[in-house]
Amino acid sequence: MATSTPIAGAFPSPYEIETPPGCEGWEEMYPYYALFDENRREADEKRFWFWNSMHFPVPMPAFDVQCIDSPYQAVGAWQNRVFAVPPAMGIDYRVINGYIYISGNPVTDPEKIAERVEFFQRRAGYYYENWPELYEKWKDKVRALIDEVTNLHVPDLPEYEPDEVMHEAGRNTAFIDVLDAYQRTLRLGDMMWQRHFEFLLLGYGTYSTFSDHCKANLPDIPEQHIAQMVAGIDVLLFRPDAELRRLARRAIADGVDAAFVEGRTPDEIEAELGRSDAGKAWLEDLEETKDPWFNMATGDGLYHYYRSWLDEPAIPYASLIGHIDALKAGKQIDRPTEEIERERDRLATEYRELLPEDAKPPFDELLGLARMVFPYVEEHKFFCDYWFLTRWWNKLREFGQLLARHDFIEDAEDIFQLGRHEVMSALDELVLCWATGGAPRGPSFWPPIVARRKDLLAKLADWTPPPAVGVAPEVVTDPMTIMLWGVTTQRVQEWARSQDPNATELIGAPASPGTVEGPARVVKTVDQIADVREGEILVCAITSPAWAPIFSKIKAAVTDIGGVMSHAAIVCREYGMPAVVGTGRATSLIRTGQMIRVDGTAGTITLLDGASD
Amino acid sequence: MSVELTRPLAELRSADAGRFGGKSSTLGELISAEIPVPPGFALSCDAFRLFVAEAGLEGTIESAMASAASGDVDSVNAASHAIGEAMRSAPVPDAVRHEVAKRYAEFDDAPMAVRSSALGEDSQDATFAGQQETYLWIRGTEHVCDAVRDCWISLYSSPAISYRARLGDAAEEPAMGVTVQLMVDAEVSGVMFTCNPVSGDPSMVAINASWGLGLAVVGGEVTPDDYLVSKVTRELVRKNVSVKEIEYVPGEGGARRVEVDEARRGQRCLDEDALAALVEVGKRVERYFGSRQDIEWAIARERGEIFVVQSRPVTGLAKPAGEQKKPASAMSLLMSSFGAEKKD
Repeated sequence: MATSTPIAGAFPSPYEIETPPGCEGWEEMYPYYALFDENRREADEKRFWFWNSMHFPVPMPAFDVQCIDSPYQAVGAWQNRVFAVPPAMGIDYRVINGYIYISGNPVTDPEKIAERVEFFQRRAGYYYENWPELYEKWKDKVRALIDEVTNLHVPDLPEYEPDEVMHEAGRNTAFIDVLDAYQRTLRLGDMMWQRHFEFLLLGYGTYSTFSDHCKANLPDIPEQHIAQMVAGIDVLLFRPDAELRRLARRAIADGVDAAFVEGRTPDEIEAELGRSDAGKAWLEDLEETKDPWFNMATGDGLYHYYRSWLDEPAIPYASLIGHIDALKAGKQIDRPTEEIERERDRLATEYRELLPEDAKPPFDELLGLARMVFPYVEEHKFFCDYWFLTRWWNKLREFGQLLARHDFIEDAEDIFQLGRHEVMSALDELVLCWATGGAPRGPSFWPPIVARRKDLLAKLADWTPPPAVGVAPEVVTDPMTIMLWGVTTQRVQEWARSQDPNATELIGAPASPGTVEGPARVVKTVDQIADVREGEILVCAITSPAWAPIFSKIKAAVTDIGGVMSHAAIVCREYGMPAVVGTGRATSLIRTGQMIRVDGTAGTITLLDGASD
Repeated sequence: MSVELTRPLAELRSADAGRFGGKSSTLGELISAEIPVPPGFALSCDAFRLFVAEAGLEGTIESAMASAASGDVDSVNAASHAIGEAMRSAPVPDAVRHEVAKRYAEFDDAPMAVRSSALGEDSQDATFAGQQETYLWIRGTEHVCDAVRDCWISLYSSPAISYRARLGDAAEEPAMGVTVQLMVDAEVSGVMFTCNPVSGDPSMVAINASWGLGLAVVGGEVTPDDYLVSKVTRELVRKNVSVKEIEYVPGEGGARRVEVDEARRGQRCLDEDALAALVEVGKRVERYFGSRQDIEWAIARERGEIFVVQSRPVTGLAKPAGEQKKPASAMSLLMSSFGAEKKD
């Protein structure tokens, strides 16, 4: 119950957090406006800031801050300036020791709220009335952005400009083209984020309204049943893994499965396949499948190091090997879509029958709307977070290569250790010295900065951020915080309780039913997913659908943050394995190898070997 | 015209409630719906009336009741005592005894449960506190007849007299049926509601269960295990396993209260399969009667069969928040999620 458990003082002040030893100066990686500063202490200390570990589970590299600024510009623009959500403007963020804390800006003036109600009703109404049509147009717009970022040319700096500079109207010298290309790349990112949030608020809001309506009439209904009634059947996000399953079946049918041996690299497998006609045919099929289905990210996409399956073929190949082994062992690997569909319709029919008559028409209408918006809720991840972002990061790598060729940095990847304005500044100097023929300072200036920041990020990764800082509200009322992050009054109280270091039980949201025990596998970064072994319980900050391949190995999943709409939850329900999400700090409390019990029905994790610290 | 003194439970329907009482007629309905109910027979209210008439108790009752009419506690207790004494020394009529012996013969001297089946009992309108006597593990015609008489006596227990006194003129001439049912040697027993009585959620079945015969749960002598199971998916949504200190087991001359052995005290007494089977039975009973039910059940020690021993409509149910509000349209609900409801 949202009663008066006092939670003031449960979380530290953001101004009292100490810098871990050896991490002094971490602030240089972040914009001036992203820091807790003495001059705004009075206001900031009274606010409630929670760690956005859903999107930013590890310390933020300097360039990746663009994936905070741009989305928060976009979400604020839609929420506050377009839809004018009456009680909530946008989201502020601050950085502590490399971790991102966020806090909503409420609207409190009743007159202002009333004024915003007019806007919201009219504009949200327009989207609901025209959703399918607007969503089709949305996909076209995002595809156009993907095409543009893919095809955007990053020019080199020539020894001499070609004759066309004299003859062609509008033809620029290379320095203009380099600066334009960089700014256009940044702008395309902004535009993608703008699209990303166009439907998100209404999409999530519709789902949570349906959920609230169910709970008002069926107070004990498990959250996962609500999600099951809404979830799509032909979900785009399941398609990449479905294609891998298809390719696995084909490899067996065509007799080329012997090439898929655990431990082989993709190159070794492809070399063997290339030696037979059947193998070649399979490889052609693979090539066709890659566009678009290999535009999956290996993680949730907001960090530069989440690459696509195209960039890291070891990931899809690992799951091909797993699928082929499973098929040969006689296991069923297909998503039971018919069963899922039958169950979804059965739940909807049976729950509807249990409702009082008055509640049936809004149930029908809200379920219809929730199912209407759901394709967007699922698919925007594929289009925006995976397909676009992996290509956008790759485009930025091309600028990294340009800087590396001119010795401003040692390696193209080092570009991500510089903020976007610092990269602009480096490019400014690069083209200046290219033009003047003078000696640039960049090659001696940037590499030590890059080295220092890599060291800082590695050290900051060992620090455990508190789930929240500042003063917790007695009741969480911000609808966006609740809808998008699942941060409810109850969750904040659980976080406050979980501050006890001797806790042997963690509480989260029950996301997929069932109880299992097993050894934990704590996965903090995406490259650790290869370590996951059969029969382990995955413990991570947040998963993404790109991790689907490992779900055929694990027994259960536990995440730090996320609601029942999170991808770990959705995938676990599909695979019929228990999941508890939004535990606040499972990855810091549980260690790999520790025996744990996951109760996905009650939403609890018990540490069977006692407290780990 | 001969009066009907007894009838097999299986031949009773709700229309017989006026003659055989609520419990017996409900059990008859359940049997007709093919719900597993232990077989048995019922005694009609006329059997009770015959007892009162043959023993010449009308006068005793009338004078005792007249003195109790004031509602004064001492005089009610005195009246109850006087009537009880008179009834206890009066014989069960031969006609009744003969029919009980005949019906009981079919059960081959098996232990029976003897319960009161009061008029109006088990109805949605009222609970008849203090008028529901249960005698378990009764064996032999003589003991069954004694238990039947004990049920009749309970019609004049102090709480029952007070209760009727409060009803005043609305109280009809008191009479009572009796249910005699084959005893289930329960390993586990308890009560289930085909809704969550606390939140009012109709999609849940709330189950209280403890070891042994049902007396312990119904009488509130143990804190039972508490399970909440989804009617829609049979999932266990919540469970609280308690420490169950005592249980009732069959003994000479009735149920015996014993301590639960150490090993089983804290042990969960229903597994997932048993819960799913109970929910299935609960749903069938609910569907048959068309309303939320409060069901007493028992699981037999042998073969683990489930039996329903009583069912009645749930009274005084909480309403979920959604039902208390005035109906809202989908769009107004959506707007209020975003804090965008218009003020009237």
